[in-house]
Amino acid sequence: MTQKLFFNLVNRVELRNISKSFGGITALKNVTFKVIPGEIHALVGENGAGKSTLVKILSGACTKDAGQIFIDGTEVNIKNTNDSKKLGIGIIYQEFSLVPDLSVAENVFLNQLDATGVWMKWGSMKKKAEEIIHSIGFNINPSVKARELSIAQQQIVEIAKALSENVKVLILDEPSAVLGPQDIQKLFETLDKLKKEGVAIIYISHHLSEIFQIADRVTVLKDGTSSESLPVSETDRDSIIRLMLGRPLNTMYPLRDTVIGEEVLKVLDIQLTDKVKGVSLTVKEGEIVGIAGLVGSGRSETVRAIFAAEKRKQGKIILFGKEVQLRSPRNAVSKGIGMVPEDRKQHGVILSLTVKQNISLTNYKGITDRFGFIKARKERNKAVELIRKLAIKTENENQEAGKLSGGNQQKVSLAKWLNRDCKVLMVDEPTRGIDVGAKVEIYNLLHELSNKGVAILVVSSESSELMGICDRILVMRKGQIQGELTRENYSEEDILRLSIGA
Amino acid sequence: MNITSSLSRALQLVVKYNTVFFFLIMMVVSAMVSDVFFTAANLFNLVRQVTPVGIISMGMLLVILTGGIDLSVGSVVAMVGVLCALFTQTMPLPLAVSASLICGLLVGSLSGYLVSMHKMAPFIATLALMSIVRGLGFIFSKGAPILVNENASALTDFGSGNSLGIPNPALVMILIFAITSVLLRYNVFGRIIIAIGSNEEAVRLSGIKVSAFKFSVYAIAGGLSAVAGIITTARTAVGSPVMGIGMELDVIATVVIGGASLSGGKGSAVNTLLGVFILGMIGNIMNLMNIPAYSQQVIKGLIIIFAVLLQRFQRTS
Repeated sequence: MTQKLFFNLVNRVELRNISKSFGGITALKNVTFKVIPGEIHALVGENGAGKSTLVKILSGACTKDAGQIFIDGTEVNIKNTNDSKKLGIGIIYQEFSLVPDLSVAENVFLNQLDATGVWMKWGSMKKKAEEIIHSIGFNINPSVKARELSIAQQQIVEIAKALSENVKVLILDEPSAVLGPQDIQKLFETLDKLKKEGVAIIYISHHLSEIFQIADRVTVLKDGTSSESLPVSETDRDSIIRLMLGRPLNTMYPLRDTVIGEEVLKVLDIQLTDKVKGVSLTVKEGEIVGIAGLVGSGRSETVRAIFAAEKRKQGKIILFGKEVQLRSPRNAVSKGIGMVPEDRKQHGVILSLTVKQNISLTNYKGITDRFGFIKARKERNKAVELIRKLAIKTENENQEAGKLSGGNQQKVSLAKWLNRDCKVLMVDEPTRGIDVGAKVEIYNLLHELSNKGVAILVVSSESSELMGICDRILVMRKGQIQGELTRENYSEEDILRLSIGA
Repeated sequence: MNITSSLSRALQLVVKYNTVFFFLIMMVVSAMVSDVFFTAANLFNLVRQVTPVGIISMGMLLVILTGGIDLSVGSVVAMVGVLCALFTQTMPLPLAVSASLICGLLVGSLSGYLVSMHKMAPFIATLALMSIVRGLGFIFSKGAPILVNENASALTDFGSGNSLGIPNPALVMILIFAITSVLLRYNVFGRIIIAIGSNEEAVRLSGIKVSAFKFSVYAIAGGLSAVAGIITTARTAVGSPVMGIGMELDVIATVVIGGASLSGGKGSAVNTLLGVFILGMIGNIMNLMNIPAYSQQVIKGLIIIFAVLLQRFQRTS
């Protein structure tokens, strides 16, 4: 029945045999892809499969080498981003493009500021912005500056901005990566509403569970070629993963059989302004402990406070039974604590430096003489060893980190800490926005590290990931730990219940 | 086909090594417009003229690599020059020289302290010191040039003498350039300085004491400004409180012509040294051509704009 419906409608977007290559590398090969009005069409694939290239071709950020694009049945030629906008294509990128110092209303109408003569019509603009935001079920003060918004709110403003430009096609690139479960639910309601209004939505995500929840059809990209578009109701998770990887995925998570030893890290009653209000926790040798919670619940801040990246007000940190005074990340690192930060592009790796230079950053001891001169061969060997160990996909150790895919950047961010013998490793959102294959590799890596006795603390928004790799999960809400779950009684419902305080 | 491809490759080379290219153009142009440019006397003169700026430019490069700026360098040259001349009247020469050097280091350290510990914007902190130190130079000298004591002839002999056929001050500059170049290329210090300019927070979260490195680049810049001040006093046998006015701008210009990014993380010692000579040649050749000083300023500014636009072209292509 549904199948028939698809044939009857004119496609809102149709890509026919699109090809694109950069230099010698083929990014897309004869990709065919159709989206009808009023459907949510999921586009999935590993990083590097060509999703972003496809989006860029639709947005006019790059031009196709071959093939045809049809909008509402007529062939179009998208040469630049302006063409794309005129055709009613709106895109919401992973990295938001709001101007931090402008108000919500100004951001929404940035491309079409309303003025009579030289005077801006602030009043009507604010009112219209508020209306649009209301229409998708949210409530954001249009006078607030964009920098004061939470990440979820910023995303809503991005969507409102697209809507203000009367989009016919809305493309969302990993929209849920930055959202907590509650906000994701709201986003879905919004998308559902837009879909009913006839907008064609292309939804790019790594989260298969989301796709089953929201999408009507799904298309898998692998190595630049597209699969057939499958109605979600006629497929399942395993077949999609098989299409993405080209092989079946037996299990995402390593079997946790690590012997857990003595207590390594004990945190007592730490506080950090209004973000962390008295958190105590322990992590044992070889143990992986997860911290769950909504965005803004103080998860990241807890980890940052332990690492002394932010000045905490009170509390004690005890390592191997002895209290340690950590005043700066340098103190923490010298005591054997490592942290992989949440934002890998801003804090995890330095994009303009090479992979090798990034890896060395945490530990110059073994690769320098006593005057600080770098022993080039030793440095290279160390970097090459870690690149191999983590299977980082890079041309060589001298490739700029900014040129790597997200998953590989994340591996570099981890490699920095493997370069030191950490006793405690804290990882904040270790797999955000990276593909399934890289995720599995990172899970295995954390597992291996724990086998070597490292005490690991994992912060994540993905409950399934925490349940897969952690021995215990602490759930935070409003700066406090609300409860602890052990492996025997893990359930996504319990985590959610504790996170939202229901 | 072959010609166009080799032509485009040549163009790429020019764009990539734009500072070298620009340096060569300046040489050729200078040689064409003036017969005296390539005489030994003029080249010596050129080297002597650029030496103070050249010495300080290495310190400024380090500061700029971290994403900072130091506006106080010209004032330090004057104050240290004055102090050095004054000290020679009361102290033995080695003590006089080291004491003046330490004064420069102290000024740099103060900038470094304000920037790294109090998170003051480098522009503001060093602007304040630029004013304070200039004032101190006038106070110490009571506004008049100070003559170097006749007993300190070793200093003036060094300043005006040659070794191996090269002016001594230029040798000091070359030595400082060599050390900076090696530090930036092969030493952890240089590596971390560049990393800080690229992404300070990521460096901090890697467990590196960013403040210590930021502090040290300002201290070094202050120290090198002192070296330039001492050398100028040695060469002229006078310490004058009006030395080095506007010099900070010349120094910053050389670093920028050398392709460094003012937002940090990008720049090299070789290119900065080329920048020093490019700027020096512009002044030198205009003097040889008897272009009036006022027009010189205009032309200098235009050439700086052109040089930087050439780099912009490199980044976008």
